[in-house]
Amino acid sequence: MNIDELKQKMREANYVFDDTLATVLYVALQLGRPLLIEGAAGVGKTEVAKVMASALDRDLVRLQCYEGLDESKALYEWNYQKQLLSIQVNMNVQDKDTLTKQLFSDEYLLERPLLKSIRSEKPVVLLIDEIDKADEEFEAFLLELLSEMQVTIPEIGTVKAKSIPFVVLTSNRARPLSEALRRRCAYLYIDYPDMEKELAILRAKLPHVDDRLCAQVALAVHKLRSNEAILKKPSIAETLDWAAALDALGIRELTPDALRQTAGFVLKNNEDLTALEETGEEEHSCGCGGHCHG
Amino acid sequence: MADPAVYLEKLSAFSRMLRLEGLSVSPKETEDASRLLIALGMEDRDQVKTALRTVYAKSREEQNSFDRCFDGFFLSEEQMRKQAQEQMQREQELEQHRQEAEEELKLGGQPMDLSREQRETYAAMPEEARQRLRNFMDKYRGTAERNPKLYSEFIHSVFTRTLLEQQMLMENAGIGGQESDPELGLLYRDISDFKDTEIPKAIGIIQAVARQINGELSAKRRSGGSGGKLDFRRTIRLGLETGGSFYRLRYKRKPTRRKQLVLLCDVSGSMVQFSEFALRFIQSLNQVSDSSRTFLFSETMVEADPFKLQNMDLFRSFVKDSGIYGRGTDLGSALEQLCVLKPAVLGASTTLLILSDTKTIDQPRAVAALWEAKRLCGRVIWLNPIPERKWQYIRSIQTMAAICPMVPCSTLRELAAACRKLN
Repeated sequence: MNIDELKQKMREANYVFDDTLATVLYVALQLGRPLLIEGAAGVGKTEVAKVMASALDRDLVRLQCYEGLDESKALYEWNYQKQLLSIQVNMNVQDKDTLTKQLFSDEYLLERPLLKSIRSEKPVVLLIDEIDKADEEFEAFLLELLSEMQVTIPEIGTVKAKSIPFVVLTSNRARPLSEALRRRCAYLYIDYPDMEKELAILRAKLPHVDDRLCAQVALAVHKLRSNEAILKKPSIAETLDWAAALDALGIRELTPDALRQTAGFVLKNNEDLTALEETGEEEHSCGCGGHCHG
Repeated sequence: MADPAVYLEKLSAFSRMLRLEGLSVSPKETEDASRLLIALGMEDRDQVKTALRTVYAKSREEQNSFDRCFDGFFLSEEQMRKQAQEQMQREQELEQHRQEAEEELKLGGQPMDLSREQRETYAAMPEEARQRLRNFMDKYRGTAERNPKLYSEFIHSVFTRTLLEQQMLMENAGIGGQESDPELGLLYRDISDFKDTEIPKAIGIIQAVARQINGELSAKRRSGGSGGKLDFRRTIRLGLETGGSFYRLRYKRKPTRRKQLVLLCDVSGSMVQFSEFALRFIQSLNQVSDSSRTFLFSETMVEADPFKLQNMDLFRSFVKDSGIYGRGTDLGSALEQLCVLKPAVLGASTTLLILSDTKTIDQPRAVAALWEAKRLCGRVIWLNPIPERKWQYIRSIQTMAAICPMVPCSTLRELAAACRKLN
């Protein structure tokens, strides 16, 4: 697949992208490297994996990382209950070696996302979401999978990938990732979109919403993000929610009143709401620098 | 496309350049980059830049360095023309300034005894600064007639000192190269140079970096592993899942005891801004210590209420109300008071952090008090807002650095590095 074909597929998946993103995805595909995506929460990191699954016509296998995540949740686990039951049932069998061997066969193996992604006959897109939330040990454990596309299970041996998944790792930079992990990945940093791109996203995702309202929402969100007093900057998902909420309420114009009523969709903590009120009093009643009327 | 060997040679030179910039580039990356260049071609400069950046740069900071290197290495035609023109213009200007400087740097008709670097620094100085020096020379011209030797030596010493300061300023300006990314730029800039409008952004960066450090420290603590005794209760409970066989063992973890921090902050004049930032930073690091107490000093010392440190306005009004603002610095007196406080503040499990630029009245007293504090504390660390390259010129820094470890903290980046070491 060349870069133009990839762009075409992403367009078909109704995804708004720029040349940089398309080139980075093409590079990661071309080199067969995992793609590490960093950026603030809500800029669309996870969405990249979903779009790639759709563009490449592959299944998406997702592993959500969290503190304490280990191999048994991410890679595989033996079905202990079934093994114990089998031991009870076959208690009188003479050939113990065969029984032991049988106990550690595929029949008793519970596949978790990582194993599933490399044992799949058809290549998949593997999303390892929020890797920064996992422990350092887990990060080290991933290295074998990411560089060699294989994993080692003590009872079975090395399992090589039947098909090479396209791996996407995302991180909110809550903690720095190890050099070893970074070195194995292609890297992409996603920032908040500029106003034009955000407007294009609104148009693509909410085609039924009035274009004028979309433009007002995009402009107001842009202003809110550049407002230093607001700590939690609105994400793209929040912009979409906000526009959808305004549309659902039948609001066609983003007036200061409309903004006040629906601010909870875009600002998610009390300090930010207070900051918005204060900015609004100083500059313009809606806090968006006087642009909310379009 | 030209012979691929030519591209490979260029890429390997580019990789070497990136390594010099601090990026870890392995042969694998160069190989990947060459594969990409063959696949993509060289027609679209932006596309090539993005593709190579994806391969070579593995973090946002590295992307910044990469962009700088790439733009310096693979010049666009327009850039080359512009650079040649600028270079020519710069050389002409410098030559003109050099000639002017030759004329101006004369004492009693004789050329002043200055090194080549000093002459070039003078030539590169802004006109205003040069005018100030010329005015200074004219002001004391009367003395020249009475005592030419004294006049010559005096003027020479003033010139030498001004030129040295100017050189330092220029070195400082070099750091401004990070300005291409305003957010990263603030990390590398001298804290005392922050403008009021940049303070909210700097606070945002502090919060982000503090969150990152907290994450690192707690991860480090968690990764202590299974070093303790076997936890029978949890092992048996877990064994129930596997029919009573102890398939997975659980271990007790030793509770980690964090240190107590005592912060002694200089809030005299120019130190206020730095102390405010440093305090905010350290207070955000809840993983560093169990508890912390903060003392502010100039000529006298007061303990700061933690609630007053929560935002900049409260902190500043607290400093002003406590009557220590705008006074001189007496470190010796502050340390002595700290050592004799009852109940005792300093103890074996205490880390004393001193935030000061070492400029104090009565230095021998300060040195003696620092020795005493060091004897009482588990650890003393000095966070110094003066850039490390200037330390060699300041005697008080050398004296204090011989007693306790001193960490440079002139920028937020250095401050973050220092905080990482606290654990």
